[in-house]
Amino acid sequence: MRHSPITTKRTDPLRAMGIIALNGMFGEDDTDGVIRKAVEMFGRDLAVVSSFGADSVVLLHQVAAVDPGLPVFFLDTGKHFSETLQYVTDLKARLGLTDVRTLVPDSKDLERFDPEGRLWENDPDSCCHIRKTEPLNAALEGFSAWITGRKRFQTAERGILPHFELTGDERVKINPLAYWGEDDVAAHKKAHDLPEHPLFADGYTSIGCAPCTSAVQDGEDARAGRWRGLNKAECGIHFDFNGEIAPAEVKNGPVLFKKGRFVADPFKPLAENANLKGVRYVHVPLSKVKDNLAAIRQNPHPLGLLIESSDRVEDVAGELDRFSSVAISFPAFGDGRGYSTARLLRERYGYRGEIRAVGDVLTDQIGFMVRCGFDAFVVANDATKRALEAGELAEVSVYMQPVGLTEVPVGTRPFLRKPGKPVTRRP
Amino acid sequence: MYRYDEFDLGFVSGRVDQFRDQVRRRIAGELTEEQFRPLRLMNGLYLQLHAYMLRVCVPYGTMNAPQLRKLAHIARKYDRGYGHFTTRQNIQFNWPRLQDVPDILEELSEVEMHAIQTSGNCIRNVTTDQFAGAAADEIIDPRPVAEIIRQWSSLHPEFTFLPRKFKIAITGAPEDRAAVRFHDIGLMAQEDEAGEVGWSVYVGGGMGRTPMIGQRIRNFVPHEDLLAYLESVLRVYNRYGRRDNKYKARIKILVHEEGLATIREQVDSEFEKVRGGILTLPEEELSRIRAYFAPPQFVLSDDRFNLADLKRNDAGFARFVEYNSHPHRQAGYTSLTISLKPIGGVPGDATAEQMEVVADLAERFSFNELRVSHEQNLVLPHVAIRDVRAVYDVLKEYALAEANVGLITDMITCPGLDYCALANARSIPIAQDLARRFGTPERQAEIGPLKINISGCINACGHHHVGHIGVLGVEKKGTELYQLTLGGDASESAAIGDILGPGIVAEAVPDAVERLVQTYLGLRETKDETFIAAVKRVGAVPFREAYLAT
Ligand code: SF4
Ligand code: SF4
Repeated sequence: MRHSPITTKRTDPLRAMGIIALNGMFGEDDTDGVIRKAVEMFGRDLAVVSSFGADSVVLLHQVAAVDPGLPVFFLDTGKHFSETLQYVTDLKARLGLTDVRTLVPDSKDLERFDPEGRLWENDPDSCCHIRKTEPLNAALEGFSAWITGRKRFQTAERGILPHFELTGDERVKINPLAYWGEDDVAAHKKAHDLPEHPLFADGYTSIGCAPCTSAVQDGEDARAGRWRGLNKAECGIHFDFNGEIAPAEVKNGPVLFKKGRFVADPFKPLAENANLKGVRYVHVPLSKVKDNLAAIRQNPHPLGLLIESSDRVEDVAGELDRFSSVAISFPAFGDGRGYSTARLLRERYGYRGEIRAVGDVLTDQIGFMVRCGFDAFVVANDATKRALEAGELAEVSVYMQPVGLTEVPVGTRPFLRKPGKPVTRRP
Repeated sequence: MYRYDEFDLGFVSGRVDQFRDQVRRRIAGELTEEQFRPLRLMNGLYLQLHAYMLRVCVPYGTMNAPQLRKLAHIARKYDRGYGHFTTRQNIQFNWPRLQDVPDILEELSEVEMHAIQTSGNCIRNVTTDQFAGAAADEIIDPRPVAEIIRQWSSLHPEFTFLPRKFKIAITGAPEDRAAVRFHDIGLMAQEDEAGEVGWSVYVGGGMGRTPMIGQRIRNFVPHEDLLAYLESVLRVYNRYGRRDNKYKARIKILVHEEGLATIREQVDSEFEKVRGGILTLPEEELSRIRAYFAPPQFVLSDDRFNLADLKRNDAGFARFVEYNSHPHRQAGYTSLTISLKPIGGVPGDATAEQMEVVADLAERFSFNELRVSHEQNLVLPHVAIRDVRAVYDVLKEYALAEANVGLITDMITCPGLDYCALANARSIPIAQDLARRFGTPERQAEIGPLKINISGCINACGHHHVGHIGVLGVEKKGTELYQLTLGGDASESAAIGDILGPGIVAEAVPDAVERLVQTYLGLRETKDETFIAAVKRVGAVPFREAYLAT
């Protein structure tokens, strides 16, 4: 079981007992009773969170029947299908919900971690964190309890979901639909003639953000279309049935410096016996690539290449296009082999993807590294981090020799020299 | 001589500002010595036995009068009134205070000098023939190419963290006065069949604990491809040179372990790919740089020395002319070596006053040009023969007229235990003892050309491996001992000296050398057969016997 940092608060045992006892008071199908009890207990201290996805209408319909004025949070991640946004408007009108609140991600977070809006591509955990978990956490600050539409059948992890949970942050989470099955959902929709999500007919049974949702094949788990291919079944907001809100981890802040700022790193360490056919967003060591060419070629996911300082980039020259990132290792400050490797990648093999320096990366090297073709730096050293954040780099402002493809435009004189560029430029 | 343009100025003053800040942080305690170390080394600042030592770069040993005057000023203002010229054609100040170093560097930058890349595992100051641009036997003046190599190698981003330091020497004359075969790369001017001048490239030479003679890796590289070729060699070295053992990290070990053929193949394959690229040196650029080194406005004359005459009338001056002048390519001129090896003095040291005197002489008599030789002497490269007497008179007044160039007292000597933290033994006192023993003009003249080189430890900064007689400080059970080698040769007929026998104590060194000298005098065929020629002819055996016979 995973623990999140929020569990540090001690739960009042009496309160916990009381909440758990509620679970015995309602029949499995007494959705209405559960909602009424919640409203009775918490009044305006209660909110509903809905994705306005394929099944959301069922919960919203029953909530509206009890109290159409309950605040309903919708996470507008900025990544939704336009159909979903339309559906929000439609349902609001149809059900008479009077307090639907749209939550948007923090613009500073977006600017910092996802300036291009493509974080989902390589780091969905972080993407969900800034687009869902953070805004929701902030919104829920003012509420003691919230209602979700989660159901036991949806995925294996939700198999023992109760009606009432006390979460680690002393909030009560209420799951009125916990015992509902797929058939119940369909029947309820039909019985009340509720409007379907426009995409439901196209095979989307669980609808989240557009980039992370695909149609589900017959016989597949209903949520199989979410984060397809990733080891991700739950969005941060629903993680862990014990009800802890599990924020994606951002430990001591990101260590990947790119384009003049520290950004979230999509790449993860490669697990010991990972299946190279299926891994994604890991840097595969060059020797492994050489030994497992077939698997690497079959792997449809974004991959990186790790070049140790004793590796020869020549050995995988034909495969370079396949990698979206190359990590060049600096086992020690003074080991300069990686500079040659980077130049060969850029100048000889025309590699255009990210080249990142990993290992012993210090301030004094970064200027040299940039000139050799590096455009990303994994920085562990604190002083170097501070220097990079402050834009203070040990670098001389003129170059005495041409290096790389761009430093000296043809025909430029004097022959060998040119002004340096600040290292924080955007390549 | 090369003049900085705004580029070089920006480059150097940027460095000074940066280092000033680093020194401030160090003094304020924001940087530990450990963090400061690589930064100071990049600026030529070493920590020695007693104090910091600042090594100032004299690019390919070429200076002008204002620069030498500035060095004198620095010696006086920030040091103890003298500086030490090294075998790397650089100058070292032995007593600067840390807080003064940024000011020193700033003052240096005013005369277009710096201390960048005088240490660390990077491409070091390029060295060359001290008579470059003046020597009669020269095929081509190597300085323009040396300058281009200097620019190309300055803070080269790919080659700043090499396995080990990297030294390039270049000579434009067939007589090798730059010891090119004892450098990581040696370049020797070469004419191809078409009469085109280019470069013959040697690789893998070096001294230190594993001395090796450079081997020819390529017969001919035209000017335009030289940088591309150098980059190819450096890249192969950077990628494949050993990094597991500091003592096996020089390119000489790579060449030795892999074999010249393999390295040549790797370099060639690299060269094929980089040749014709951005490093191709355009002829206009070479001419542009060459213009900085245009010969001065010589006055036509057919003056020449009449040595026989001089010897009869003015023996002292005659000796100076005989040993300290070098044939000039321009009739009526000569290159004069100013020996920094006065009998009993510290080899390579010059006082501030002496530097100023030499600077004045350069201005008055040598078109404002000066050189530092790797034998730790100074050179006035272009002196009209008719002015030599005037120069000599001034030199004499300042104890700079020692007529011993190339003779037994013209010793190359490292700082040794008097300054150096790595030393096993003293070097300077040994040199002084030997100078006193053999120092009379008659004795030196009788012995003729003989190079004694002295190192205080196996790092061989005193080039003992290539001394005709080499002296190496070793340490055995806490006593300073000296090992003697025989037959080393830094010239075009390069050779590494053989160890003669067990180490001896300092007091025994002059006698041991004496026995070697006596052996030579006894077996030479004519007075013209030099010591090294005799050694090459008869081999080490008679010398070894003499050495061992105490
Ligand atoms: S579901 Fe996808 S797009 Fe939406 S927040 Fe999560 S990762 Fe980002
Ligand atoms: S040879 Fe040894 S003692 Fe002499 S200067 Fe070099 S390191 Fe120091």
